[in-house]
Amino acid sequence: MKTLSEKILSTRSGADVRSGDIIAVPVDLVFAHDGTLPLAIQQLGGHSVKHPERVAAICDHASPSPSEKVSNVQTLMRRFARENGIDFYENGDGICHQIVLEKYAAPYKIIIGGDSHTCTHGALGAFATGMGSTDVAAILAYGNTWLKVPETIRVELSGGLCDKVHSKDVFLELLSRITADGATYKALEFSGDGIEEMTVESRATMANMAIEAGAKVGMFATDEKAKAYLEHYGRGSEFAPLSADDDATYIREVRIEAETVVPMIAKPHKVDNVVPVTDLEGKELDQVCIGSCTNGRIEDLRVAARILKGSRSKVRLIVYPASRNVLLKAVREGIVETLLRAGAAVCPPGCGFCIGRTVALGDGEVSLSTQNRNFKGRMGNDKSFIYLASPSTAAASAITGTITDPRNLSD
Amino acid sequence: MKITGEVVRVLPDDTNTDEIISGKYKYDELDLNKLARHTFESIESGFFDECRKLQAPILVAAANFGCGSSREQAPQVLRACGISCIIAESFARIFYRNGFNIGLPLIECEGISSHVSQGNRLIIDFNAGLIRNMTRQEEYRFKPIPTFMQELLQKAGLMQYLEAHGGYTD
Repeated sequence: MKTLSEKILSTRSGADVRSGDIIAVPVDLVFAHDGTLPLAIQQLGGHSVKHPERVAAICDHASPSPSEKVSNVQTLMRRFARENGIDFYENGDGICHQIVLEKYAAPYKIIIGGDSHTCTHGALGAFATGMGSTDVAAILAYGNTWLKVPETIRVELSGGLCDKVHSKDVFLELLSRITADGATYKALEFSGDGIEEMTVESRATMANMAIEAGAKVGMFATDEKAKAYLEHYGRGSEFAPLSADDDATYIREVRIEAETVVPMIAKPHKVDNVVPVTDLEGKELDQVCIGSCTNGRIEDLRVAARILKGSRSKVRLIVYPASRNVLLKAVREGIVETLLRAGAAVCPPGCGFCIGRTVALGDGEVSLSTQNRNFKGRMGNDKSFIYLASPSTAAASAITGTITDPRNLSD
Repeated sequence: MKITGEVVRVLPDDTNTDEIISGKYKYDELDLNKLARHTFESIESGFFDECRKLQAPILVAAANFGCGSSREQAPQVLRACGISCIIAESFARIFYRNGFNIGLPLIECEGISSHVSQGNRLIIDFNAGLIRNMTRQEEYRFKPIPTFMQELLQKAGLMQYLEAHGGYTD
């Protein structure tokens, strides 16, 4: 009678657990980046790292380093990684969540990241959640952590999505229904034939955004698609079948008909401030951003390139591929050329525009981005405005220079 | 455990960690006292200075306080401002965990943001689960914090607690 979370946590804790139980579990992977690892290193103090082979350190948030202060912080990380024999990912390797998805995430793994979007890895059947730097330090020192087994909200997507409508739109639709604290302390579990139809990358977009509803994790069952994804990255042996029991108990069920989902957009300055794109068509933009751990994968760049091919962006167009692998694929597929010819600034893999440290907006500027958060000041300026949407909406909007429903552009 | 202090602000729903401390600072500065000067900068200026003038400033908020990014710098800068306790209708889960991990007391109390105003003097009794508003002569109840979490506060943090116990015990 178990949900996905109860199954994983029961297996890993060695006990038959139910939602509400507080348990200690081993951590298979703990990772942090240039925004969170330095503080964790400070909190670790004189303790040694118990399982260095289960740790990863990534420079992604301010990458390439834009200042001496950041470089000094990254030096601290580099030295720590070297002294402890920890995997270290350099400026330009990519965003932590994409690296973890490619190289570490797998079914049944317990993954803790010093970043709230760690929930991304539920797309591959991992129990993955974000924590702060002190929790990360405690895991580095002791190798395990404590968790409360969450109750689960089931989100069922039935049917097929329309052309130019993506998993990002599905999640924004969900958020408009349950709001920013609708899933606080809960697991979101996605199921239905609409989910089975989705690629792993599309699932990752939804898992990534689970935290924007306050959720602890964003879970997906594993299937042939998850297996193929792992095999593609040379990790096929890490596949394991994972599904919820038919009689699992959910505290809430949300049903979404895929055919009714339209391109959606989150208005400043809250992620659940969601309306259909058609409500805002024609709003002038200063910048369009394509990338981030939400929508910076090869599938997203393909979608954007298909729309942008042969056109020229009317506004500043910034593209940050999510990882070195993504950028390599994009180069080989001619996508980088398409984007460059469309006027894009194609940037080194990293968080870039999303966190406002290597890219910032000017006073009063309006940006449309494929990222996951539009809080005031998020993109480096409190006097700017951020709209969140899918890669199709972003690409279409770049061509017109205004918020544009991608279904309205002729192919 | 008791705290006596003055309400420095009553904040609205969904106050997020980007508002508490902007991402543009957190990669530059590991000195939390320096970082604390930028607390709530995108909303107002001078929060740090105002807090430092009070003996034990208490922050009050509505629902989902501390949502958004997991940055631990958020509760850290609030503590560096001198905030003695945060009372909210509800907290985002990562922020809640982080607060206890660094020894910053957090209390969930239904209706608190409509009961108190800036400047009210409060006495908080953790064991009894009671907040006394000395200015308004009112009392509000909250669910007492589990003993091990009170110990996190007393030990001033998770690392200190784990050192004392030799790790997590089941």
